[in-house]
Amino acid sequence: MREVLMLIVVLLPMFTGILTPMLSFRSRKAMCIYLETAVCVNSLLVFWLLFHAPDKTLTVFRFTHDLSITLGLDGMGAVYGGLVAFLWPLALLYGFEYMEGEEKEKSFFLFYVATYGVTLGVALSENILTMYFFFEMLSLVTLPLVMYTRTREAVLASRTYLYYMLGGAAFAFIGMIFVLVYGTTSSFVPGGVLDLVNVHEKKDTLLAVYVLCFCGFSVKTALWPFSSWLPKAGVAPTPVTALLHGVAVVNTGAFAVMRVTYFSFGTKLLRGTWAQYLVMGLAVFTIVYGCSRAVKETHFKRRLAWSTVGNLSYILFGVTLMTPMGMAGALTHLVCHSFMKSCSFLCAGAVIHKTGKNYIYQLDGLGRKMPKVFACFGVSALALTGVPGLCGFVSKWYLAEGAVDSGEPLALAGTAALMISALLTAVYMLSILVRVFFPKKGFDPAEIEEVREPGWRMLVPLGVLAVCILCLGLYSEPLVRMLKEIADF
Amino acid sequence: MDAFLLIPIVLPMFFGALLLFFSFREKNTAPGGRRERARLCLYVSAVLGISVALALAAAWSGDRELVLFTLFEGVPVYFHVDALGRLFVTVVSLIWVLSALFAFVYMKHEGKEKRYYGFYLILYGVLVALDFSGNLVTMYLFYELTTLVSMPLVLHNGTREAVMAALKYLFYSMCGAYGGLFSVFFLYRYSDSLNFAPGGTLNQAAAQGHEGILLIAVFAALVGFGAKAGMVPLHAWLPTAHPVAPSPASAVLSGVIVKSGVLAVVRVVFYVAGTDFLQGTWVQYVWMTLALLTVFMGSMLAYREQIFKKRLAYSTVSQVSYIMFGLSLLTPDAFTGALLHVVVHAVVKCGLFLTAGVFVYRFGYTRAEELGGIGKKMPKTMWCYLLLSLTLVGIPPTGGFVSKWYLAEGALQSGTGVFSWLGPVVLLVSALLTAGYLLPIAMKGFFPGSEHLQGLEEPHGIEEPGEGAQAHSSRKALGPELSPAMLVPLVVLAALAVWLGVFPGPVSEYAARIATAVF
Repeated sequence: MREVLMLIVVLLPMFTGILTPMLSFRSRKAMCIYLETAVCVNSLLVFWLLFHAPDKTLTVFRFTHDLSITLGLDGMGAVYGGLVAFLWPLALLYGFEYMEGEEKEKSFFLFYVATYGVTLGVALSENILTMYFFFEMLSLVTLPLVMYTRTREAVLASRTYLYYMLGGAAFAFIGMIFVLVYGTTSSFVPGGVLDLVNVHEKKDTLLAVYVLCFCGFSVKTALWPFSSWLPKAGVAPTPVTALLHGVAVVNTGAFAVMRVTYFSFGTKLLRGTWAQYLVMGLAVFTIVYGCSRAVKETHFKRRLAWSTVGNLSYILFGVTLMTPMGMAGALTHLVCHSFMKSCSFLCAGAVIHKTGKNYIYQLDGLGRKMPKVFACFGVSALALTGVPGLCGFVSKWYLAEGAVDSGEPLALAGTAALMISALLTAVYMLSILVRVFFPKKGFDPAEIEEVREPGWRMLVPLGVLAVCILCLGLYSEPLVRMLKEIADF
Repeated sequence: MDAFLLIPIVLPMFFGALLLFFSFREKNTAPGGRRERARLCLYVSAVLGISVALALAAAWSGDRELVLFTLFEGVPVYFHVDALGRLFVTVVSLIWVLSALFAFVYMKHEGKEKRYYGFYLILYGVLVALDFSGNLVTMYLFYELTTLVSMPLVLHNGTREAVMAALKYLFYSMCGAYGGLFSVFFLYRYSDSLNFAPGGTLNQAAAQGHEGILLIAVFAALVGFGAKAGMVPLHAWLPTAHPVAPSPASAVLSGVIVKSGVLAVVRVVFYVAGTDFLQGTWVQYVWMTLALLTVFMGSMLAYREQIFKKRLAYSTVSQVSYIMFGLSLLTPDAFTGALLHVVVHAVVKCGLFLTAGVFVYRFGYTRAEELGGIGKKMPKTMWCYLLLSLTLVGIPPTGGFVSKWYLAEGALQSGTGVFSWLGPVVLLVSALLTAGYLLPIAMKGFFPGSEHLQGLEEPHGIEEPGEGAQAHSSRKALGPELSPAMLVPLVVLAALAVWLGVFPGPVSEYAARIATAVF
C-alpha cells in the first residue's frame, strides 16, 4: 500500500494539472481552491510517506530484466521530496496573486502543478533510468513555463533553455549507459554499483565518462560553462523563476549529480583522481564566476539568477569533496539555499508585481513603502551573505568544515572561494538593501506614493520562508544530524 | 547559566529597535519640536543609563558565563566575561555615554534623530555582546552585526558621498570578516575548542604537519580583522567613512568600533592560536611590517590632510596600528602597552572628534586652516583640544606617554632583530608627525596672527547638508557659549586623558595582569 502511495504522489499533481483546463470553474477563486487543495493534500501525503517510509520499491513498468521505472524512497530522496513538498504549496499560493489578471492562466497552472509531480518523481527514483526519465521530463514540462509570455525574448530564452537541457541530458545519457553496462545493478546503492575489480583496466574511460555525466547533469545546476540559460530563463513569471529556477530544476541537477557520484559511480572509484579535481575545479570556478556576474548585473531577477549559479556550485563543491562531510554540507546547502533563494526571488517578484520595476537602480526608497516584503528580503539577503544565526551560515559552515577536513589543496582553495563568494554576495545583496532602506538625498518619495504592500497570498509565503531561514539558522542540529546520517555510508 | 549577562545585551537592542520602528512609521521626517526632542533624549538617556549600569555590573561581578544555545555541535553561542572583555566593555560604556550626551545637542542639526539613536542603542548592545563573547563563533556573529548596525551611522546624512562611504565601509569590513571566518574554520579543525582561553587552545598534536596552512589561516584573520582596525592593506575605508558620519558617530566609530577589530585580533592570536605558535614565524614579521607601515603612512597622510575630520581619521589609522604593532611583538610589555593604548586612544580620539563636531556645529568649519583664532572664541573647547592632542603625541605626563613607553620598551626587549629598534624609531617619527598635524591647530587657535581675527566676528554661513533653516537660526541664538551637554564630555575626556598619564597605575597594572595570563 505504501509503495503505491509513492506512485500516487507523483501522479496526483500531474492529473490535477491536466484537469485544470478541462474543468469549468465558476470563478477564479474556485480554481485556486481546487489547485491549492490538491497540492496541499499531495504535500501531506508526501510528509506522511516520509515518516512511514515504504520498505519495498514499486516497479511501475519493466522494459527488460533490469531496465525498469521503479520508485523507492531513501534518505536523500526523502530530504529532497520533503523540501519540494514544503515549498510547492507556498509558491502556488504566491502564484495565485502574481498571475491574477493574466491570460492563459490555466495553462500556466497546468504545467506549474504538473512539475510538482515530476520533481517528486526525481526524488523518488530508485534507479538511474527512472531518474533520467523524470529528469528529461522536467525539462519538457518546464519549457512552456519559460515561454509563457510569448514575447520574442521569452521564445529565444526557451529555445536556449531547450538546447541546454537536451544537450545536458545527452551527456548524462552516456553516463547512464556506462553505469548500466559496467554496474552490477541499475539501482542506486550507497557507495556505487561499479564492480571495481572488473573495471580496473577501464578506469580512465570510466572517469572520463563520469566527467561527461557530471557535466551533463550539472547543466541543470548551471555549472560554468553551461550557466547562461539560467539568467535568460528569468523572463518567466516569478513564481516559475523562484521555485523552478531557484529550487526545483537546479536542485534536481544537483540531486542527480549526488546520485551518480555517490550511488552509481561511487566515491571509491573517483576519490583522488583527475576526474575529481577537474569537476571540483569547475565547481570552485563557478562559485566565483556566478557571484562576479551577479555583482555586475543590474536586473533584479537576473542578479538573483546569477547568485543561484554561484550557490548551486557550493552544493556541487560539497559533492565533489567526495567525503561524507562534504556530502552532508552539500545536502545542508541544498535545503538552506532553497529557502533563501525562493524567499529572495519571491520578494523580487512581489516588487515587480506591485511596481513594475525590474532594475535595481529603480528601487530607491521602496523599503518604506513595502516594509514587510523588504524585511523578508533582508533576512534572505543576510542569510545568503552568511550572517551567523541565519541558515546560510549553517550550510557554509558545514561545507567549509568538510573542505578543511578533506585537506585537499584544491578543497582549501575552495574554502577561500567560498569566502570570496560570500564577500561578493554581500556586495550584490546588501547594496540592494542599503538602496531600498536608505535612499540617497534628492530622492523624491512622491514618485512611489502609490506603491502598496502585496496581499496576504504573497506575504504569507514570504513570511513563512523568512521564519524558516531564521529558525534553521538558530537551531539546525536535528536537520544536520539527519543529513549527516544520510551522507554517512 | 547566568541570564544576567543577557540583559545589558538585549535591553538596548530591544529599545533601539523600538525606536527604529517608530522612526520608520513616521511619515514626517522634519525635525520635531522642543518637547519631542526632550522626550527622545530622556528615553535614550534612560535606556542607555540602565544598560550601561547593568553592563558594568555584569562585567565587574566575577567571571560570569552563559551558554545561550547550541549553534553547531560543540559550538554554542557562549558568553563569558573575562579580564579583557571587562576592560573593553568599560571603555565602550564610557565613550558611549559621553558621546550620547554630546549628540543630544549636536544631532539637532543633522535630523533623523530617532534613526540615529535607534542604531546607536542597538550598537551598544552588540558591542557589549562582542566584548562578552566567549568563543570565536559568537564573536564572529557580533562582529558582523557591529558592521551591519554601525553602517547606518556612517550614511546618516544621506548624501551620495555618505552612502558610498558607508558601502565602502561595509564591504571592507565584510571582506575582513570573511578573512576571519576563513581562519575560524581552520582553528576549529586544529584546536581543542573555540572557547577563548588565555594562552590559546591550539591542539599541538592535531596541528602537527598542518602548520603551513594554519599560519596562512591566522594571517588571514589578522589582515581580515585588521580591516576594522584600519591596518594596511584593508585600511582605505577608514578615512572615507569616519569623516562623513555625524561627529558623535565619528567619535564612537573612531574611538570604539575600530577597537572591535583589535579585540578580534587579540582573541584569535592570544586566546585561540596562542603566542607560542606565532613567535618567530613569517606571520609575526609580516604583521609587524604591516603595522609599522600603517603607523607611518597614517601619520604622513594625516599630516598633509587639510580637512579636519579626515585628518583625525588618518590619525586613527596610524594610532590603532600602534596597538597592532604592540600586539605583533608578542611580548608582555608590548601587550600591556597595546591595551593601554586602546584605552588612551579611545578617550583621545573620541574627544578630538567631538571637538571637530563643536567646530562644525558652531561655525560650520571643516578645514584645518579655518580654525585660526578659534581659541579666542571658545577657550574651553580649545584647552580640551590641546590636552587631548598632547596626549596623542605622547608628552608626559599624559596617558599617551605611558602607553608608548610600554610599547617602546616591549619592542626593545622583543628580540625580533631589526624590528626591536626600527619599531621605536617609527613610533617616534610618527609621534613627531602627530605633533605636526595636531598642535599647529591649537597654536593657530590661540595665536592666530592678525589676518585671522577679522573672519571670526561673524559665524560663517554654513553649507552643512542635512540641516534646516531652523537649526541655523537656533545656532545663532545660542551665543558664544557651548551648552554644558557638549562641554562636559570634552572636559571629562580631556581630564581622563591626563589622569591616565598622571596615575597610570590601576589601568596599567590591570593590563599587565592580562598580559601575564596570556603569555
